[in-house]
Amino acid sequence: MTDPSPAVLDVRDISISFGGLKAVQGFSLRIPPRALYGLIGPNGAGKTTCFNLLTGVYRPDSGTVALDGQRLNGRKPHQIAAAGLSRTFQNIRLFGDLSVFDNVRLGCHLRGSHSISGTVLRTSYHVGQERAIAERTFALLELFGLAGRSFEQARNLPYGDQRRLEIARALATEPKVLLLDEPAAGMNPQEKVELRALIRDVRDRFGLAILLIEHDMGVVMNLCEHITVLNFGETIATGSPEAVQNDPKVVEAYLGTE
Amino acid sequence: MKTLINQARALSPAAWSVIPRALWPVAAGLAVAVLMHAVVGPNVPGFTAKMMLVAGINIILAVSLTVVNGFTGQFSMGHAGFMAVGGYVAASITYYGSIKFFGSADFAGGALSWTGSGPHGGGPLGKGDLLFMGSCLVGGLAAAGAGYIVGLPSLRLRGDYLAIVTLGFGEIVRVLLQGTPDQVQPWRAAEAAETPWYSLMLKLGGPKGFNLLPTYTTLFWVYLFVTITLIVCYRLKNSSTGRAFLSIREDEIASQAMGVDVTRYKVRAFVIASFFAGTAGGLYAMDIGAISASDLGFLKSFECIIMVVLGGMGSISGATLAAIILTALPEILRELPPVWPAGLALLAVMAVVQGAHRRWHPRSLVVVAAVTLVAELGRRYCASQGINLAEYRMILYALLLIVMMISRPQGLLGVREVWEIFGRRARRPGAVASPPGASSGVSP
Repeated sequence: MTDPSPAVLDVRDISISFGGLKAVQGFSLRIPPRALYGLIGPNGAGKTTCFNLLTGVYRPDSGTVALDGQRLNGRKPHQIAAAGLSRTFQNIRLFGDLSVFDNVRLGCHLRGSHSISGTVLRTSYHVGQERAIAERTFALLELFGLAGRSFEQARNLPYGDQRRLEIARALATEPKVLLLDEPAAGMNPQEKVELRALIRDVRDRFGLAILLIEHDMGVVMNLCEHITVLNFGETIATGSPEAVQNDPKVVEAYLGTE
Repeated sequence: MKTLINQARALSPAAWSVIPRALWPVAAGLAVAVLMHAVVGPNVPGFTAKMMLVAGINIILAVSLTVVNGFTGQFSMGHAGFMAVGGYVAASITYYGSIKFFGSADFAGGALSWTGSGPHGGGPLGKGDLLFMGSCLVGGLAAAGAGYIVGLPSLRLRGDYLAIVTLGFGEIVRVLLQGTPDQVQPWRAAEAAETPWYSLMLKLGGPKGFNLLPTYTTLFWVYLFVTITLIVCYRLKNSSTGRAFLSIREDEIASQAMGVDVTRYKVRAFVIASFFAGTAGGLYAMDIGAISASDLGFLKSFECIIMVVLGGMGSISGATLAAIILTALPEILRELPPVWPAGLALLAVMAVVQGAHRRWHPRSLVVVAAVTLVAELGRRYCASQGINLAEYRMILYALLLIVMMISRPQGLLGVREVWEIFGRRARRPGAVASPPGASSGVSP
């Protein structure tokens, strides 16, 4: 099966093992622009490991990752972020002591240029850049309904707000592809409905492709156009939500065999 | 959305406006320095003036260490090593420069660095002052270079390992400087005569230290440097670079994922901190007219760390306050005046400030009252028994640190500045419309 549309993120056959454990084996994925893809699987299936491979936290033993035709293999996490791949974390990793505002401002860091002399002398460009960063941050926080909490410490936010702040921070890096690691974890049903709308809105507004890991089937099946199912590091099914839901292997992986 | 760079261009103020923004810190530094030199210095007892000078040098050390230990959260234990590098370089340049250009290593400065008694004939600045300033800056650059060389490989390490490497660096510098020969052994005279390096080493004073330096450091020069250090570090903290530093401290993995080149920013912080430590070394050497590596060992590094930890990891004003307190404390302890008036005054100020902001912290008031009471009782007891508390100051520091670690591990002020304790967090959502970043370009 070949996809005629050009893929913004093209992952081919990446594998990694930790000692004897084959954490991810032969993972491939082609995400077209503006697509909403899902990655699901039971606990320990290797979903977060996949994200870590894509974002450079781990280096794949084999296989290639390409973003917009640029090879990402062997690059460091900050270089991959600069190439346009941004992520959130399963166990939220905000800068807890910094304000909500500063968390998102840090996301803007990547797209600016920051010389020590410019910072110390407060050159015109530096001042303009700080203003642009503040403006952009404020716009993002408003979009996520967090503007009113700008000056609270990030660690003091409620859980759902922290998740959304992480997405806002990731968007501030101007990514082409956004990886969301369990964005709905710990949210109540109402928040989950809002999150679905928010993710769609983000995709349309910023025109980026989104790949998300999620355990909540309501969110995944409703949101994603295409789903990949992992089990024990191997891809056991890919396809539309309906196809995946009815795949016997998937049912087996989730429910076990009789 | 437009790209950030385009947006930044559109929002940049006029190009000429960089001149006032870049120059006013220098002007402020000069104003503070002149104030200290002309108004404060002559009107306080000589000993107090001397303590203010030492406090100024300690402020530079503590604030610069805050950039590494406070902002980026890396634990450097070799700050005195960089101070020694800068100090020896500055001392050599001043001493041998004086001999080469002025014919002798005597004082050749103007009124601003004149510490002797009686009127000084020359103008405010002499030729020696320029040499002194230049040597301090070159000393800072040398220390920054050392910081780069040490930092580049070692800042890939984390936590304890970095502490060990920097501790090792400080000790290596001390041992190397102490190990330089102070006289030519007869059997090496020929080697010494033809090896410029050997003769250079010979001139560093060896274990006895580098003595007989002309003394240029006055309140003027120290507080000029203090102001500039404070403003530079403050501007760094409130900028994209500073946020990158802080993000490394908060969560290195998230910081990388947001595109911060972690190693590069750690090295940047290290180099900046080393630079200021180096200039402080120069000021220190030309203050007492001598510099000895044995004074700049582990204990000096540790003193700097205590100041940073006490003041708050990442608070510039906190480090400044801690440097002043820890410089003054041994002297105050020597003959402790009654504590309760100061305690009461502090209580009153805290109550007024808290009342004005309607944010009551009854616990803080109780703690201050209790500490005042205990300190006063302790003072009376020691006075009646004839105990000199200054002799026990190291024990007191240790106790202080233990108490801090248990009750307030983030230091007195944490990452905040004195003026932010109430302001920022109390801000109403409505006030958000003008985020501080938007105006931060104009204020310091």
